[in-house]
Amino acid sequence: MVIVESVETAGGASFWQDAKHRLWKNKLAVFGLVVLCVLAVLSLAAYLRPSMTGYSYEQQNLALGPMPPSHAHWLGTDPLGRDLLARLLYGGGISLMVGLCATAVSLIIGVIYGAIAGFAGGKLDMLMMRFVDILYALPFVIFVILLMVFFGQNIILLFVAIGAVEWLTMARIVRGQVMAIKRQEFVEAARALGLRHGRIIFRHIVPNLLGPIIVYATLTVPEVILLESFLSFLGLGVQPPHSSWGVLIKEGAEVMEEYPWLLIYPGAVMALTLFSLNFLGDGLRDALDVRGSKD
Amino acid sequence: MALLTVENLRTAFHTRNGVVRAVQDVSFQLERGETLGIVGESGSGKSVTCYSIMGLVPQPPGRIEAGRALFGDVDLLACSHRQLNRIRGRRISMIFQDAMTSLNPFLRIGEQLIEPLIIHEKITRAAATDRALAMLHEAGISEADHRLKMFPHEFSGGMRQRVMIAMALITKPDLLIADEPTTALDVTVQAQILELIRKMQKELGMAVILVSHDLGIVSGFCDRVMVMYAGRVMECARTDDLFYDTKHPYTRGLRQSIPALQMKGEELHTIPGQPPDPHHPLPGCPFAPRCEHAVDYCAREEVALTEVAPNHGSACLRVQREKLPV
Repeated sequence: MVIVESVETAGGASFWQDAKHRLWKNKLAVFGLVVLCVLAVLSLAAYLRPSMTGYSYEQQNLALGPMPPSHAHWLGTDPLGRDLLARLLYGGGISLMVGLCATAVSLIIGVIYGAIAGFAGGKLDMLMMRFVDILYALPFVIFVILLMVFFGQNIILLFVAIGAVEWLTMARIVRGQVMAIKRQEFVEAARALGLRHGRIIFRHIVPNLLGPIIVYATLTVPEVILLESFLSFLGLGVQPPHSSWGVLIKEGAEVMEEYPWLLIYPGAVMALTLFSLNFLGDGLRDALDVRGSKD
Repeated sequence: MALLTVENLRTAFHTRNGVVRAVQDVSFQLERGETLGIVGESGSGKSVTCYSIMGLVPQPPGRIEAGRALFGDVDLLACSHRQLNRIRGRRISMIFQDAMTSLNPFLRIGEQLIEPLIIHEKITRAAATDRALAMLHEAGISEADHRLKMFPHEFSGGMRQRVMIAMALITKPDLLIADEPTTALDVTVQAQILELIRKMQKELGMAVILVSHDLGIVSGFCDRVMVMYAGRVMECARTDDLFYDTKHPYTRGLRQSIPALQMKGEELHTIPGQPPDPHHPLPGCPFAPRCEHAVDYCAREEVALTEVAPNHGSACLRVQREKLPV
């Protein structure tokens, strides 16, 4: 009885139940997921109620100045006497948002563009990919700087600008994968059923690319967060008194010999986030592969 | 009027190493409800013939250089993509050799089964699912409602081919093209699948084109058989005539090569030599270099399929001219 039952549930279990089951079994992925959730919740809370930690991210205390971690200020304060924990959490919200939004933008553009080019092949593919090559050749920091200069320093624009740069690699990856898959028999079978091209691409081919797409997306999030840090570091991204992890690291790096905690904590949190993203990405890829071995 | 009339179909592939003429001047007719077998070795052009009719030849490198394929009054080779898509999957369905790879590994069986209904008919998902259930049941799959939620990798090879057949027939087509539907399956499963196709054919009254390299399968299944070699039709006749009154040396060679007919210890019969290199077509009859009856003009003169007996076409010059018994 027991055996029969377990066979039935294995066969009939829904896709997402299956995936969840496999994800839960992957300890590193669960660790990554938990860390990201905790960071996201804390950041959101800090964003909605800036005084949650007892201090606001912009509240200065010049008389206090830079203090090492203490009971009153768990992670210490910066040279303007601002509480580092408050700034770290508030900045986390911005960094994570930039990361997710820019990745989403790059994902949508890259997948659609790459899938169409790869499926169409021939001249259209050639044209589309040469266009990507041209964009690749543009030094992208200059591109982002130009955008910033023209449209002013707007955080939403920052998302879009980074996403608009990051989709190129995604398009190339997706195109290559589509070209490999479109000759497979199930695509022929879909054609033989009289399906339109759009339906074949987005219903039959793209879901088969879930693995590479997710892996690349999880690699893009940290890349984008770093890029935002870099732009903020150059003074082009998020501006004080707002904070992001990039801003904090930049400020911390300037004073790291005198006040090392200002660099160590933001750096550690960022590293933790990047690790978590990578673990989660690997786990998701394995969990979502329905063809994967049933262990 | 015939259901499908193919005239002088010529398909070529333009590759880096030159032009491969995969199908040359193939013509045949198919009546409603009739079963036509296409037999030939690998590379003889039997699959490309079917792919050409279905508009599945990848272009480039492939090109349909000449011919017509009239289905009703629509020329499948010349009609618009949109028109073709209204016929494919609705009035002509196709099943493929490898059911392992012709189902999408990421879509549930149920989703794939109802897809042809959803795109070709005005039907709700619920109604489509009901039809899919009935169809799976017809195709001999037990616990159909439970299986609809499963993925292809949870099915065995024979079951997948059953699903493919159910999917191909769910719209009740007039013509089913089966491209080596049993080649990848066990012998016992082979018979079941063929029986299933035959049963569905009777129920729906559809015509079937069965492509196979196995003369044995075709002989038991088809009303008429077309033998292909190097992209050309060698012989085309009613099944009995083709077997008992063979009019082409190649067909005879194929027939003698069926291993089951040999006694133990007896040497297996083979046709000596190899099919011609498709990049360098030979003048004259392509089978001439391997043919025991070949004479000097065989390798020189062009030969076309000609009726040598009532409803019996042969592309052998000697049979045509000298009534050579083969």
